[in-house]
Amino acid sequence: MTAGAQRATLVPDPDSGDGTVPVVAVLAGSEIYGFPLSAVREILMPPPLTEVPRSAEHFLGVIAVRGEIITLVDLPTLLKLEVLDRQPLGRVILVDVGDELIGVAVDRVVQVSQLQPDQIEYASAMSADLSEYVIGVARIPSESSSAVDQMVILIDPGALLGGLT
Amino acid sequence: MSDPRDNVQQEFLAEAQELVEALSRDLLLLDEAHQRAERPDSSLINEIFRSVHTLKGIAGMFGYKHVGTIAHALEDLLDDLRLGRTDIGGPLLDVLFDSVERFQRLLALDDPQAPEEAAGVDAYVVAVRSIGAQPPAEEGDPLNQYAIGSAVLSVLTEYEEHRLRACIREGMQLYRLRATFDLTAIDDSIEALRDVVHDDAEIITYLPSLEGGNDESIELVVLLASRVPETELKAHFEGQYGTVEAIEEQKHPPTVPPTLTSIPPGSQSLLPEPEDETAQASLRSLANSVRVDIRKLDDLMNVVGELSLVRSAVGRAVAGLDGDPKYRQSLRELDRLGRGFERQLFELRTRILDVRMVPLGQVFSKFARIVRQAAREHDKQVRLVITGANTEMDKLIVEELADPLMHLVRNAIDHGIESVETRMRLAKPAEGTLALNAYHKGRNVVIEVEDDGGGMNAQKLREKAVSRGLLTAEDSQDLTRQGMLDLVFLPGLSTNAEVTDLSGRGVGMDVVKTNILRMGGVVSIASEHGIGTKITVTLPITLAIIRALIIKVGARLFALPISAVREAIPFAPRDVHTIQGRKVITMRGETLPICDLAPLFGLRAADQQASRFVIVCEMGNQELGFVVDQLVGQEDVIIKSLGPTLSSVCGFAGAADLGNQKLALVLDAPALFSEYFDGGEALPSVEAHA
Repeated sequence: MTAGAQRATLVPDPDSGDGTVPVVAVLAGSEIYGFPLSAVREILMPPPLTEVPRSAEHFLGVIAVRGEIITLVDLPTLLKLEVLDRQPLGRVILVDVGDELIGVAVDRVVQVSQLQPDQIEYASAMSADLSEYVIGVARIPSESSSAVDQMVILIDPGALLGGLT
Repeated sequence: MSDPRDNVQQEFLAEAQELVEALSRDLLLLDEAHQRAERPDSSLINEIFRSVHTLKGIAGMFGYKHVGTIAHALEDLLDDLRLGRTDIGGPLLDVLFDSVERFQRLLALDDPQAPEEAAGVDAYVVAVRSIGAQPPAEEGDPLNQYAIGSAVLSVLTEYEEHRLRACIREGMQLYRLRATFDLTAIDDSIEALRDVVHDDAEIITYLPSLEGGNDESIELVVLLASRVPETELKAHFEGQYGTVEAIEEQKHPPTVPPTLTSIPPGSQSLLPEPEDETAQASLRSLANSVRVDIRKLDDLMNVVGELSLVRSAVGRAVAGLDGDPKYRQSLRELDRLGRGFERQLFELRTRILDVRMVPLGQVFSKFARIVRQAAREHDKQVRLVITGANTEMDKLIVEELADPLMHLVRNAIDHGIESVETRMRLAKPAEGTLALNAYHKGRNVVIEVEDDGGGMNAQKLREKAVSRGLLTAEDSQDLTRQGMLDLVFLPGLSTNAEVTDLSGRGVGMDVVKTNILRMGGVVSIASEHGIGTKITVTLPITLAIIRALIIKVGARLFALPISAVREAIPFAPRDVHTIQGRKVITMRGETLPICDLAPLFGLRAADQQASRFVIVCEMGNQELGFVVDQLVGQEDVIIKSLGPTLSSVCGFAGAADLGNQKLALVLDAPALFSEYFDGGEALPSVEAHA
């Protein structure tokens, strides 16, 4: 486990020089969530899963990654998203939450986005009542020019995944 | 982790810890000798002096100022003691024992220079100084009455001189031993001689004689003091080492008294100073052993685990070739090589595990001090008897055991052993006995904490549990005596009402039990009112690798540590009866409670018609049968923890890699036992996992 995981989550890419923040955008249900790249250790194809009886519903089970046992959390279930027509596990991202690596199951990884500071709207500045693990939202211009911008919900992994039971 | 400064710091702390532990052990020996009113062994005092001296040295190097200051003050005190300038006694021992605690506390500080500690350290140093240098009554110098010769006397160090006087005062006879030593092996030979004489005599000093010896050898004159009669000493040494000659007491003292306190500069090199010995001893120990961070051993173990996985993958690949006559010869060879490889792997793993083993004495010796201190505080007399201190266990377990065991030990002194007056009234020996026993039993280590105190009052425990609302009065009627005793493990039974400075520090027996369960062990209790209490802790020898029975429940694989398994028998549904809603079967005429794992884990059991099994497990004095769907086989597995997030899920000790990234959850037998037996009538029903 990597010491000194970033709990303060929006760290600009030190190489960029212009304050851009790299974010891993993932699809869960019909929403796109962004995890700061600084907290994401790895993106995996889902390894064989071992379910853990008697654990809460959002825990899918445990997986073995290079000899380490990693708890796998289902992002849509954890976020209580309504998911119609659930696909089999898409991707697993390994997220560092400080004292543990947690596997987060998502439907698909959309892209790694470089967010400009002016693209980010912080939750504290919004009037909407959002969960404490939401840092804010960012708008990414859609690839096809005709469609509307994509909305990425930026997640604080420590607040979302730290101390889960 | 890779910060070199950090590593050096760890090295220092590890070495300092070891020194303090050695100091603590030696002080206890010193205390024991003092209690028996025996003359303290001079080599023991030297040992203590060396520990403190070394500690002072390294503390200075690493900026542990307070540790250094205390060590320095103690060094002076110990110097006074070994030079006979002060006498051993209660206050001196108290100050010395106090130092152990102080060292440990100071070493645990984040800031080794912490200014707020300065006042306490200074006060302690003043206390140390006030004890030192109270010279014993001076008598006529006995040295003058012996024909030792001024040439010898003039080169004695102050310490050697003191020992010489002390020996004479104690009525020991002085001897001169002449022996020839091989120059190349002189250090070893003298060391060997020291070992030989240790029981019979004390070596005061040795000097090269002017006669004898040649290019390869040297003749030494060894000045010995001994209680053993001359003839016996001669029989022992002559021939083997050299000649022995008694130094007679003279009626008339020599006319020229030798100068005793000054050492001529030139002669010093001939005489090894105690300091030099320290340097040599520590250099030797450095050469023979290395300190290793236990995490490095874990890493090694992981590599071994990966190797086994590779090995089974190769095995499977080879099996795929089976049936092709073309390969028959090569397959046989591969099979043979594979088995050889497996043997070596097993050997490698055993050796790594062996490195992790440390004797339980490491933790027991800490208790000796606690017992002494606790007994003094409570004005009780307690004798600590330790057996099986050499019993080895995994380092991690030994570390983890320290706190639970300490609690048990304190409990025994605080609540168990009675005051001297009470014991006298009951016609018990005034001195209570606290026994710490350790021994191997199969794949487990058993540790017993046994006292001959007042024992536990089972009825009182029951009343208390009822009055605290932990148990209904009706339920309490059904309890057996053992059941009442077991109530002591309930959280909330020992509460603030009886907090003492010894055992009531916010941890109760429930915490002890939880900690031991967490390590995969069990605690059981036996107590006779008025006779004593025995707490038995049973633990696996090692945590890292276990032999496990792989079982199937529903469609899932689980591993059950074999140390808990007694036997597996076919399950016949028609043999099942219920007693108060609990399922039991009869096995060899005895009733065995059973627990079906499929509903417990919310899994659908395999076809009810299929042959299922009951795995009979044993923990302490309880038995329970787990009903499973299939026995898959036995395997050595490495248990890995589930991580903090899932640690609150009850019933699993971790997960084990079965190869191919396939995991099996490892059942936590102790936790399942306590859930079954302490968890009320029925196990909580579990919703099937989606």
